[in-house]
Amino acid sequence: MDFLLSSFAAALALIGSFSPDVVDAVGTSLSVSAGATVFAALFGIPLGLLVGLSDFPLKQMVITILNTLMAVPTVVVGLLVYGFLSRQGPLGVLGLLFTPTAIVIGGVLLAAPIVANYSLAAVRGADLRIMPTALTLGAGRFLAVGTLIGEIRFGILAAVIAGFGRVVSEVGVAMMLGGNIRGYTRTMTTAIALETSKGEFAFGMALGIVLMTIALLVNLFLSLLQRK
Amino acid sequence: MKILYRLNSIRKCYGSSVVLDIDGLTIVDRRLYTLIGANGAGKSTLLNIMAFLSPPTAGEIFYAGKQVDWIHGSVEELRRMVTLLHQAPYLFEGTVHANVAFGLKARGIPGEERRRAVEKALAIVGLQGFGDRKARELSGGETQRVAMARALVLKPEVLLLDEPLANIDRETTGLLETVIASLPAQGTTVVMTTHNPDHPGRLNGESIFLEGGRVVTP
Repeated sequence: MDFLLSSFAAALALIGSFSPDVVDAVGTSLSVSAGATVFAALFGIPLGLLVGLSDFPLKQMVITILNTLMAVPTVVVGLLVYGFLSRQGPLGVLGLLFTPTAIVIGGVLLAAPIVANYSLAAVRGADLRIMPTALTLGAGRFLAVGTLIGEIRFGILAAVIAGFGRVVSEVGVAMMLGGNIRGYTRTMTTAIALETSKGEFAFGMALGIVLMTIALLVNLFLSLLQRK
Repeated sequence: MKILYRLNSIRKCYGSSVVLDIDGLTIVDRRLYTLIGANGAGKSTLLNIMAFLSPPTAGEIFYAGKQVDWIHGSVEELRRMVTLLHQAPYLFEGTVHANVAFGLKARGIPGEERRRAVEKALAIVGLQGFGDRKARELSGGETQRVAMARALVLKPEVLLLDEPLANIDRETTGLLETVIASLPAQGTTVVMTTHNPDHPGRLNGESIFLEGGRVVTP
């Protein structure tokens, strides 16, 4: 117990002193996660809306595939993207492996199915009267869909936040595609894994506290928006 | 006398179930029609088709002499002439003003003109000063009146009302009956569904009876 308490105290001291290693890892984590979330939202929200609002053959199969993609292990995504970005891979010439961009690409693949599924769920859970009401009041198709999005915006926002949560907390993609390079591609999760294995438990705990605080703040932000 | 709707051999099916099967129906402008029938008679289905929200499975509809082309035609343009007020109307999140202004905004009506029209429509339904109220905090009767104002403000050629007087208090019923009865003289054709056999007489309307999806003579 003493070990945990002393580590906790050391972790708080590290955070309070703005340790450059902690700040670097937090900055890298936030930037790659934000980048991946933006692109995942750009793909995932329209995909979720499209699947939710239209009827087409094999729709159920598409939904099943989207659900399955949510559960793909991060290391499998890392492996797949690694295959494409490695020197022998089809995109190896771009030299993206072990860069923040590579982590963003992997993050997009992880988060997009989540954003799409949550958006789809938001559409399916929406009041069925929204679209007919907008249409009968003279809205065109685009305005009607825009109105629907406005009415289910918290569901869509929750989708984006869930996507961010998936990317910021994963370790497989960041480790395999980023390479855990200090000050460049080292994220909070890869730093926790590395430093803890080196016996730097307090450092890992400091990053864990920051990670939990970020998760808490993001959810508080969502709650505040919902209350407005 | 202008014929607005001509429905020929209209059928609407959900799977193998036929919910509407109308050989012919004509609706003339500047009149008030009451659509009478039991639950499941096909009243709401018919209104949805007449509002151009849901195409029939088979048959032809002519509006103002032109055949409605659901696939290639612009039903969006037709929807701007016909407004449907649902039985349990949905108010968008936001203020009463934003709700009533929705259709005007969709039509590109400028701000000041829009504001005046919204105030006038709210006054007609007895909700002066309600513009800044949150739509979701209104009572059932107030919600019904806001939805009516939202439809009236558009001055539609046809107003389709799905049980507009169900589940509201007597005071609101009286007010809405007066408003509805006055519409044909102002150029709006009204088709409203009702369970109440007194409505056609009270509203000076013509009755259309639906039974099992068919238009019948009582």
